[in-house]
Amino acid sequence: MMNIKTVSVIGVTGTMGANIAGIFASFGNAKVYCIGRNIDKVRKTIPRIVKSVKADAISKNLIPADFSMLEDCVRESDLVFESSKEDIGVKIEIAKRVGATLQPHAISGTGSSGLSITKIAEYYPEELRGHFFGIHMFNPPYTLPLCELTPTAYSDSKTKEELKEYLNIKLIRTVVEVKDSPAFLGNRIGFQFINEALQYAEKYKDNGGIDYIDALLGPFTGRTMAPLTTSDFVGLDVHRAIVENIYENTKDYVHDTFILPAFVQKLVESGKLGRKSGAGLYQLIKYENGLKRQTVYDINTGLYRDLIPYAFPFADKMKRGIAEGDYDKAFERLVNNHSQEAEICLSFLLKYIIYSLYATEEVGYDVTAADDVMATGFNWCPPLALFEALSTVTDVRTLIHERLPDICQKIDVDHYLADVKPSKYDYRLYFKSGRKSL
Amino acid sequence: MNKVYILGGAQTDFERNWTKEGKGMIALLKEVMADGLKEAGLTFDGVKKLNEENRVACFVGNFIAEKYTDQGHLGAFLTEVNPAFYGVPSARYEAACASSSVAIDAAQTKIKSEDYDIAIVVGWELMKTVESHIGGDYLGRAAYYEKEGKGIDLPFPKLFGKLADETLKKYPELDEKRYMNALANISVINYTNAKRNPLAQTRKWFMSYEQAKTRDTETNPLVGGRLGISDCSQVTDGAAVVVLASEKYIEGHGIKNKPIIKGYGHRTAPMLFDKKMADNERSEYVLPWTRQTVLDAYRRSGLTVDDIDVFETHDCFTSSEYAAISAFGLTEPGKEYEAVESGLIAFNGGKPINPSGGLIGCGHPVGASGARMLLDLYKQVTGTAGGYQVKNVKNGIMLNIGGSATTNYVFVVGKE
Repeated sequence: MMNIKTVSVIGVTGTMGANIAGIFASFGNAKVYCIGRNIDKVRKTIPRIVKSVKADAISKNLIPADFSMLEDCVRESDLVFESSKEDIGVKIEIAKRVGATLQPHAISGTGSSGLSITKIAEYYPEELRGHFFGIHMFNPPYTLPLCELTPTAYSDSKTKEELKEYLNIKLIRTVVEVKDSPAFLGNRIGFQFINEALQYAEKYKDNGGIDYIDALLGPFTGRTMAPLTTSDFVGLDVHRAIVENIYENTKDYVHDTFILPAFVQKLVESGKLGRKSGAGLYQLIKYENGLKRQTVYDINTGLYRDLIPYAFPFADKMKRGIAEGDYDKAFERLVNNHSQEAEICLSFLLKYIIYSLYATEEVGYDVTAADDVMATGFNWCPPLALFEALSTVTDVRTLIHERLPDICQKIDVDHYLADVKPSKYDYRLYFKSGRKSL
Repeated sequence: MNKVYILGGAQTDFERNWTKEGKGMIALLKEVMADGLKEAGLTFDGVKKLNEENRVACFVGNFIAEKYTDQGHLGAFLTEVNPAFYGVPSARYEAACASSSVAIDAAQTKIKSEDYDIAIVVGWELMKTVESHIGGDYLGRAAYYEKEGKGIDLPFPKLFGKLADETLKKYPELDEKRYMNALANISVINYTNAKRNPLAQTRKWFMSYEQAKTRDTETNPLVGGRLGISDCSQVTDGAAVVVLASEKYIEGHGIKNKPIIKGYGHRTAPMLFDKKMADNERSEYVLPWTRQTVLDAYRRSGLTVDDIDVFETHDCFTSSEYAAISAFGLTEPGKEYEAVESGLIAFNGGKPINPSGGLIGCGHPVGASGARMLLDLYKQVTGTAGGYQVKNVKNGIMLNIGGSATTNYVFVVGKE
């Protein structure tokens, strides 16, 4: 096992930086230099780090530092983790500084969620490039153990294997090796789904738009949080950065589904970034008497309004089936109901299966990678498990040909379906009724 | 007498919060029953067939569904799980946290007496239906509620905190710091073991010796006397199924290499904690009836502690696992810390306790814990425990207690 005694986390005041410092200090039991631009802010971050892993015992492992001390910290570190702003210029500057003082044995990683790892690697001195990797974790890492590991052409394969082992065994991460491709695998699949859902919200704005689509793709479709709520939670600015990066730097059969809808662009420009800024796709209004009211952005009017209490017969039936553990009844309803809503819902699930298989072939190394990233990074029913779930009531291959003729024309769907194998994840726990239990 | 075989079974993923999934007892039971029968090589049609000859029965272990889920008559409730259970004899057994052990005992008795060929034991509890302090109050009914539970915030942590006090009192030569550090170590061993168990509730959680031994902090507050939250088992939703079979069934179906229940012990200590402690003055053991239960099981199985390769115990609190160490016979009473300090009970030690993670690491859906332990012994003896398999297991033992070590149950499982 790699012996990582000292770690520097650069950019520790950000949410990810703080949470990752917590992972190194706890599971890794490493001394962690917590480096930020403003040391007072770093000091204020320390209690947050402790809280993120629920362990006061790690506070002695957390040492505040600022950028002026960066070289001293790096010189002492066995691993340097850069978690700065998602800006290639900033990351290159840091890479140069780290590269100038990094010890020959030490590992260096970036938490970038989608920039070119290879490009950053090139700012390291040649002899250190072999130890540089993309190490992309998901938020919050304490409950979402996914870690996408991206080696570059320069990476040393023995070091990579050792790092994988360290991340997996010591830090309890689900490590998925991915290629240096925009947004890597989890976000490529997840944000394809979410962004297309946003496009559908615009397309169906007369049906209600945002809350209409979320009502169709909620927890009863195999996830904890409906997709647009997820986007609101992540932040629309972050969402935009991810889909723009993919749109500009990839070209696949779903290319157009990465175009950000105009209304989201407008929200971002007016500072309505989602939950973190108090308003976005949704707005939670809090009254002085403590009452709260959830409202949603109406794409037609540009105003926030109360949620519509949608009641779709197919969704109600599904929820009832799930609540009673009759998953087959739920899936049967989904497959056999031909209302507009059921068809949208099913088409999203089928598209998700296909795109996951497609993206895995492009970005991952093994078909199970898609399952690992979606289960442990998003908490969504992973594609292979979803395939298994629907297979309890129907022939999924035939269904895909029936329901997605356009996609079947664009790509050789059967080629991807040939890779399907049993999932190691249990589909049942991802389908939630959203009802109070019995 | 007829031998009792274990065909296998299943447990649910103890990480799941069924209330958050919007599912209740019916979904829980449907899932665990389907998985359990499948693992045991049975089908619902098979159950139906056996029932035509009146050769199958169900034994449901549950502590207090009346409170958590507003449901009683839990034996009959299985008919809602699958029509295959129409007509199948079924009843619910209750002994607080040892509920499913009583169910197992009833089941093995019916197999031994040759009344049935297949006995399906299912233990379950849904505890996350209510907020933790309300749940804690419900659990107070495992003690003498009027005197030890009512109006007390979290009565059980307090009772097992008192067990820690009494242990120190009973063994004056036992250094307090040494004892508390041994408890911290027990906690860490359970959390560490849980990391290898893909169905354990705490498999992603962080715990270290440093964290466990530093009590009375924001993240490790005291919950009962000197015990911190790190000394405490979990509030868990879960279920476990184990299927027992008769010799006749095994032979008739050409089934091989299934373990048997080699012996059991069942003793009831005084209900009130203070009476329990007054009662132990006659003994070197802090929990003499727990010790006696183990001795009964050794006697019935014809085995001694030397023959046991793996232990699953009732670590509802670290103080109860500590007492179990000498009760199993792993050390002299009062010297339990030796087995902790030497690493004897750790996963790679000579006598590993709770490779599953136990109640602290794997989780403690109270009515399911006994069945979960028996299932884990089955896995260990048959070499099917996967990542938490202990090497070369021939025999295993489990201790399941109800209340403040009031109901005591022990089963010994081993290769024929």
